[in-house]
Amino acid sequence: MCDACGCDLKPEEHSHDSKIIEVHQSLFAANTAMAKKNRAHFDKMGAVVINMISSPGSGKTTLLEKTIEAIGDTIRIGVIEGDIETERDAERIRKKGVPVIQLTTGGACHLDAAQIHKGIHLLEREEGGTELDLLFIENVGNLVCPATFDLGEHHRLVMVSVPEGPDKPGKYPKAFHSSQLFIISKTDLLPYFDFLVEDATRDALQLNPDLQVMDLSATSGEGMEQWLAYLKKVCGK
Amino acid sequence: MHEMSLVQGLLGQLQTLATQHNKTKVISVTMEIGPFSGVVIDSFQFGFDILAKEEMLTKDAELKIISPTASYRCCGCAKQIKSEQRPESCPNCSETFFSPEGSDDLILLQVEME
Repeated sequence: MCDACGCDLKPEEHSHDSKIIEVHQSLFAANTAMAKKNRAHFDKMGAVVINMISSPGSGKTTLLEKTIEAIGDTIRIGVIEGDIETERDAERIRKKGVPVIQLTTGGACHLDAAQIHKGIHLLEREEGGTELDLLFIENVGNLVCPATFDLGEHHRLVMVSVPEGPDKPGKYPKAFHSSQLFIISKTDLLPYFDFLVEDATRDALQLNPDLQVMDLSATSGEGMEQWLAYLKKVCGK
Repeated sequence: MHEMSLVQGLLGQLQTLATQHNKTKVISVTMEIGPFSGVVIDSFQFGFDILAKEEMLTKDAELKIISPTASYRCCGCAKQIKSEQRPESCPNCSETFFSPEGSDDLILLQVEME
């Protein structure tokens, strides 16, 4: 036994001289490397990938349902659903007739690139899962943690619904810094809430002047045309 | 609380480094947490305090955190303003739009081991 630290190694097997090791390595390095592989895989598939980030209940799944209905066969859509538990969201999307798989994180508050890597392979086993123009990743409902993890997506969408209030950009800056598109959803509820679209838009643009902003209601269909036009544009259709 | 999973990643990396360098005890760990990393310093420290105790290698390790201040580039006059918080308006030209500048990374800088 070693006398200095009481471990099971023999003294000659390790030293007790203190040593400073310069590492300079990102803790995100493993995730970033996997995200890069995912992006290369998506490019090979020819699919444009959108990572959807929002609070729980802001209407991500409903927007996807309405989008699939509106787009029909013109763009081949696939979906990777992320939730802590249950297959409910995937079941809703499956009813719309597109390839979908559900990832359950079992408690983790975000999806990471390794989970998505697994998700791609599971999706490829679904009918039509290898021939996609557009893949949505619906992240775990959370405006904080998902913003930190690159999944290999091409575009990141942050969404806030009218009942949540217009102060979200200021409170959750990382999600807005790292996104290209900001959607204000459930605008059919504007008459019942103290929510000024201009305030939320201004706050978001102050954080990220390059952000594209849209407001829509998936339920009433108001504003959906600009979203559908955006999707056609990113898919080159 | 994604800080917990990030601390787990750090501890895994420390195990690898200890094996590589034939060391059995971590004395100190120096991390740089970028202002736009989305990592809450107190939560990271809390996660480290709890999880590091569980391992022989890290039970007495000290966590040192370097947190550079963010800066904001005015979209009007391009003046750079160093500030923890996003400024309300530019002191130079009163513009209210800024581009944030600063690291969004979480970097393991240095480990002292014996």
